Amino acid sequence: MAYPKYRFSSLLLGLCLLASSLVQSQDLENGETLYRTLCARCHGMLGEGGEGPSLKRPTLIHAPDDDTLVSIILGGIPGTGMPGSRQLRGDDGPDVAAYVRSLGQLPPEEMPGDPAAGELAYNNGNCASCHIIKGVGTGIGPELSQVGQRRNLEYLRRSLINPGAEQPRIVDRFRGSLNAFLTVRIVSEYGTYEGMRVNEDAFTVQMRDLTGEYYSFVKQDLISYDKALGHSFMPGYDSVFSPQQIDDVVSYLMSLK
Amino acid sequence: MNKDHIAALLTLCLLSVQSIADVPYSALLNDEANGNDWLSYSGGYRSERFSPLSQINTNNVDQLKVIWAYQMQPTGISGAALQESTPLVHNGVMYLTESPSSVSAIDAASGRLLWHFVPDINNEVLNIGFPRINRGAALLNDKVYVATLDGRLFALDAGTGAVRWETEVADNALGFSLTLAPLALEDKIIVGVSGAEAGVRAFVDAYDAETGDRVWRTYTVPAPGEPGSETWQGDDWETGGGSTWLTGSYDPELDLLYWTTGNPAPDWNGDLRPGDNLFTCAVLALDPDTGAMQWHFQFTPHDTHDWDANQIPVLVDGEFEGQERKLLALANRNAFYYLLDRETGEFLLGEEYSYQTWAEGIDDNGRPIVIPNTEPTRKGNLVWPSLQGATNWFSPSYNPDTEQLFVPNRRMGAIYFKADVDYEPGMPFLGGGEQPLDGDDASGAILALDVMTGEQQWEFELQTPLWSGVMATAGGLVFGSSNEGNFFALDAEEGDPLWFFNTGAHIRTNPMGFAVDGKQRVAIIGGQTLFVFGLE
Repeated sequence: MAYPKYRFSSLLLGLCLLASSLVQSQDLENGETLYRTLCARCHGMLGEGGEGPSLKRPTLIHAPDDDTLVSIILGGIPGTGMPGSRQLRGDDGPDVAAYVRSLGQLPPEEMPGDPAAGELAYNNGNCASCHIIKGVGTGIGPELSQVGQRRNLEYLRRSLINPGAEQPRIVDRFRGSLNAFLTVRIVSEYGTYEGMRVNEDAFTVQMRDLTGEYYSFVKQDLISYDKALGHSFMPGYDSVFSPQQIDDVVSYLMSLK
Repeated sequence: MNKDHIAALLTLCLLSVQSIADVPYSALLNDEANGNDWLSYSGGYRSERFSPLSQINTNNVDQLKVIWAYQMQPTGISGAALQESTPLVHNGVMYLTESPSSVSAIDAASGRLLWHFVPDINNEVLNIGFPRINRGAALLNDKVYVATLDGRLFALDAGTGAVRWETEVADNALGFSLTLAPLALEDKIIVGVSGAEAGVRAFVDAYDAETGDRVWRTYTVPAPGEPGSETWQGDDWETGGGSTWLTGSYDPELDLLYWTTGNPAPDWNGDLRPGDNLFTCAVLALDPDTGAMQWHFQFTPHDTHDWDANQIPVLVDGEFEGQERKLLALANRNAFYYLLDRETGEFLLGEEYSYQTWAEGIDDNGRPIVIPNTEPTRKGNLVWPSLQGATNWFSPSYNPDTEQLFVPNRRMGAIYFKADVDYEPGMPFLGGGEQPLDGDDASGAILALDVMTGEQQWEFELQTPLWSGVMATAGGLVFGSSNEGNFFALDAEEGDPLWFFNTGAHIRTNPMGFAVDGKQRVAIIGGQTLFVFGLE
C-alpha cells in the first residue's frame, strides 16, 4: 500500500514544483500590482471572489495549466463574463498568472503529528460515516480527498474541534454565494426536517438530511424555517480524540493533496 | 403565384414594416400612458417603469406562463455573457439589444426573428470597470439607435436593421465605452459614456437624430476656470471620471434633461484628487437644446467608495409637505433616498433606506455627515454598503397612483482597500478595490417606499444581493427577479409573493411589459434567454 501512495505523492510534488516554478520565475510584485488593477474589481482584492469566482484555490476549472491561465488572462473566456486584458505587454501576463497561482497555494507548513497514526484515528473515529476520501466513505459532510491542498493547519484543527466555526461557501459565478453545509430546521404540515441546506432562493429551499435524503420545500407552505449559522452536525472531536490524535488527524488531512 | 405577385406582396410587406416602425416624438411623450408599447428604456420620459396594463393582476397572476422564449445569439466576443438589456416594443415588434452591442428585431407575438444587426466590434475592445454588455436601444421615427461597447452610436433603419449612420462618440483606446440605452428626444439622441475606471473625463452628448452630427457636449468634470473647477486641484480634472453611463429622464414641460454621473477617478484613492470633485456622483439638469447645466446636485462629495449616482432619476409630481411640487426621486447607491425639486435642484429629503455605516445622515443642504475613518485604507476597512452599493443601475419602479417607489436593494458590506496608482491612457485607474462579504452575510430585497417620505412600507427579502430591476403594474403587481434566477410577482400593497418562475439562470436586467393582439405580456431575460409571459 505504501508504495503506490509514495508514487502519488512524488507525482504531486512534481506538479507543485511545476506550479511554483512559475511563481518563482515571474515578478510577483508586478503581478500583484496588475492583479489589483485589472482583476480585483471582479475577483476581489484578496482573490476570494466577488462578481467573479474566487481564485484562492489550488486548481482553476478553466486553467488547469499555466499556459492556459496566461492565455485566459490575455484573451478572456468566451461565453462567460471574463474579458481578456490584451493591453498587457511582455511578461505582464505570466506575472499576473504567477500571482493568481500564488493566491491558491498554501504556504508549506510542518505537520504537527504523524499522518499514518492520523489515518488510523480517522478510520477508528468513524469519520468515514460522513466523509469520502478517495472514493471511500459516505458523502454527508465535505469530500476530503484533496483537503490538504486548500486548508491549512489552523483551519483543519479548528474544524475538528469546533466544526461549526468555519462555514465554507457554495459559490456560483452569477447566482451568488451561500454558506455551505448550513444546518437548517424546517417544519411543514408533514413533519419536522433537520439537515443541511443544499440550495435556496427567495421562494424555495433544498435540504438534505443526515441519511442523504433530499427534500425540496416551497417557503410559503412552511410553518417555520430556521437557519443555525455556526452550527455543524459534526461533533467536536476534542471530546473523542486525544490532543495527540487531533494533531495526527490534522497531519493526515494535510497530507491529502 | 407568379414572380410579379411575389414582388407585389414583398412590396406590401416592406411597406407595412416601414409603416409600423414609425415612432414619432408625440408617441414618446405618450409612452407612459400607452401600455401596448414600451418605447424607451424606462417606459417613458419620467422613468417610472410602470405598466398601465391590468389584464394580469393580483387575482390571476398565478396563472402566468411562458408564451415564447428567445435565445440570444453569441457573437464570438469573449466576456459577453451577461445580458442587461431592456427590450423595447412598438406595434408588435420587439427591439432587443444583445451583449456586447447587437440588435434583434423580433415578432412580439411569436418570438421569431425579423432582423439582426451585429456591429463589427473587435474582441480587443476595452471595457475597464464593467462587463461587456448593452442595456438597450432607443426608438425615434423610423430609426433604432444603439450605442456600442467600442464607443460608437448607430442609427439603424427600424424596418430592416440597415445602418443609416454611425458616428464615433469617444475613443475606446482611452477607455471610453457606451453600454447605456440612448435617450431619444424630439430631434436629438442623448448618450453618455462609461470609463471613469480608466480615468476618462466624461460627458453627456447630444446627436442630431437624422444626421448623426453632434449638437452639443457637456463635460461632467469642469476645466480650470469653469464653474465647479474650484473643487479640483492641479491637473486632476483631466482624469476626473464622472461617467454618464445610465439613461436619464426628461421633463418636456420644464424642457429639462436629467442625467446622473458616476465616481471621480481614481475610484478608491481620494488622496490623489482632493476636493468635492464636482460634478461627479451627482444629478445634472441640462438644457436639451444646448447642453447648458441649469442646476446640479451632488449626492456623494469626494466619493471614495465608487458610489456612482448612476441610478434612474424618477420624475414625480405631487404634494410634498403641503405644497404641490415637481420632484425628482432617486434611491442612491450610497444607501440614502433623495427627493429634489426638479425645477431648481433644491434638496428636500435625504433618508437612509438601507443599512450603511459611512454617514450619520444628510444635513439640511443635502450633504452627507460623513463618519470619520470610513474611507478605504491600505489594510482594508469594512464599510456598508459594498462598492456595488445599496442599489445600482437596475431600475426602480414608481406607481403614480399609490405614490409608491419600489427599489431593488443590495445588502452587502465590503472591505475597502486603498492603493497607489498612476494614470496611463487606456489602463485601469482605480487606486484600490474591495473584498465583498458574501455567503449568508449578504442578502437582497425589494423595498416599497413612500415616495414623499422615503419611509419603508414593506420589504421582500432575497437570498443574495440582486442585480435586477423592478416593474410595477396597474394590476397591483410588482415584478422583480433574483440572482438565483427567479422571476416573480409581488402584491404591491403588502409585498407578498404571488407567483414565481425559475428561469434557470441569473437575471441581470429589468422587467418590461407590453401587449400584442390585445394580450398583456411581461418580459425578462434569464441567462441568455428572453422569456415572455402571459395568461394565454
